[in-house]
Amino acid sequence: MKRLLITGISGGQGRLLAKRLSEGWQITGVDRVPWEGAPEYVDVKTLDLRKKKFEDVLRKNRPDAVVHLAFVRHFRGSNELRHEVNVGGTRRLLNSCARYGVKQLVVLSSAYVYGALPENPMYMDEDSPLNVARNFPDIRDLAEVEGLVSSFLWKYPEISTSILRPVNTLGYYVHSAIGSYLGLDIVPTVTGFNPMLQFIHEEDVCEALALAIENQLRGVFNVAGPGAVPLKTAIHEIGRRRISVPEPLAHLIIRELFRFRVYDFPPAAMDFIKYQCTVDGSRFVEATGFKPLFSLRDVFASVA
Amino acid sequence: MFYFNKVAELAASAIQSGLSLSSSSLPGLPFADLSRELSDKIDQLPIELNEYGYDPWGFDPDVLKTSMMTAAILYRHYFRVVSVGMDRLPPGRVLLVGNHAGQIAFDGMMVATAMLLEASPPRLARGMGEYWLATLPWLNVLMDRMGHSIGTPSTCAEMLNRDECVLVFPEGVRGMNKVYADAYQLQDFGLGFMRLALETNTPVVPFAVVGSEEQAPGIANLESVAAMLNMPAFPITLTWPLLGPLGMLPLPVRYHIEFGQAMHFEGDHNDEDDAIGRKVEEVKDSIQSMLRRGLAERTSIFL
Repeated sequence: MKRLLITGISGGQGRLLAKRLSEGWQITGVDRVPWEGAPEYVDVKTLDLRKKKFEDVLRKNRPDAVVHLAFVRHFRGSNELRHEVNVGGTRRLLNSCARYGVKQLVVLSSAYVYGALPENPMYMDEDSPLNVARNFPDIRDLAEVEGLVSSFLWKYPEISTSILRPVNTLGYYVHSAIGSYLGLDIVPTVTGFNPMLQFIHEEDVCEALALAIENQLRGVFNVAGPGAVPLKTAIHEIGRRRISVPEPLAHLIIRELFRFRVYDFPPAAMDFIKYQCTVDGSRFVEATGFKPLFSLRDVFASVA
Repeated sequence: MFYFNKVAELAASAIQSGLSLSSSSLPGLPFADLSRELSDKIDQLPIELNEYGYDPWGFDPDVLKTSMMTAAILYRHYFRVVSVGMDRLPPGRVLLVGNHAGQIAFDGMMVATAMLLEASPPRLARGMGEYWLATLPWLNVLMDRMGHSIGTPSTCAEMLNRDECVLVFPEGVRGMNKVYADAYQLQDFGLGFMRLALETNTPVVPFAVVGSEEQAPGIANLESVAAMLNMPAFPITLTWPLLGPLGMLPLPVRYHIEFGQAMHFEGDHNDEDDAIGRKVEEVKDSIQSMLRRGLAERTSIFL
């Protein structure tokens, strides 16, 4: 049986993927946090990607394929920690992959890397510039990770490396920034703005990761879900109340709340509820035949 | 300057909501029929909507029904538009290219209305707005819901590839905010539309609007004031800024819109500017000759 290593396995997406690939793969997982009650078909090692011991896992285990999910995606900690885990961790992983004969690597990035800018076209393809760092320094590390992985992709043509950029992910297991925003009792929106947002269910993202592995995908791929709706429609469908806040006030409130970490939503993230950051997912569909199982209604119902 | 177009529409759609109330209670009002007609035409638009009633770019027919009502009233009762050549419109993807004038984009509004009310089947003419429109509260949303978009080349190409009808004014501000001495003389055309037409294999339909120049004759365009206010232009007309916001109202001229024969172009869309420019000249010539003919045939500016 071929061997698969999943980093960040204790997170929602890691658990789903382990289950999805449990038949046909011998799975090892690493994570900083333990996975209580992990199923027996997964060998979970609790360790830090940034530590030397992580390399031992690859040396001993010699995985055929690696799925890299170990990213800090929230803003509860410091930017330094984020950067260290996301960029430093990825760099270490890439080095080990090259050294220990990994044949396939899939990295879960995000469509956020394009940034939400007023001049964004509705359907950005994979060649669009990664503008997120322009106005949103807090997630500059995501763009940096992409840079590392793309140069790895060109440097090691013998390794099938792919980057997936899914849109706003919602579901029961996965904790995402958009999920916690839409999970607020009263969801604030910016007065006079109502951008189109694309959503995808966590299990469809899991399916996309599995397809990337099974098809030995190479390259960068957007993963768009079943479609797009205006932000306010999404809030309504999830069954939340909404409050419209004029921009200057919203900015002030969010900045102060974030400064004291009452609410971990950086002010720069506000652009994502003002402007669209929508992508064209046709490249991935052509490469894998991917078809989201969950409709927009299903996606909203799963978090309602 | 799309912005003013939208402001006018926004303001008028507020009036319109009052109108539609009164028109339903008083069936004798002429606008009740117009409202029904507009609504029927919008229902006939060959546009696929998702489960929540939006097209892939955020268009919402219900919003269009209310917001276009003002335009329809202006079309029938104010500018009393005469449109010819709609029967020559090819089915499928099409790029409408025409002359721009009149300080405020009523010409775009009237062409879009003609496409809804007079074309068969009705078409949604999608305008391509300036980037900064996306930063303006409400207007950015209204623009999307009405089927327009921010004018990035990739959005335009995407729309054409999906057989939509896109409306462009290659003169841009140069045409719209020129002074009256230059009336009906086409200014420099941008080349972008031709590259997109070649890339997506889209026929170009030239159109000429006669009447728009007289709706608000420009005396001057204060570019330094415009730069200061971060606006594309700052026109001075007989009434603006003299009469304040009221001065933005256009004169009740009669509009004549002629749609020409579809033009098909072939070639490399990445060709050098000169080669693209020659093709653009063909379109420009076609519009200019329609303008000349239209002006010669016009007997009165207002009647």
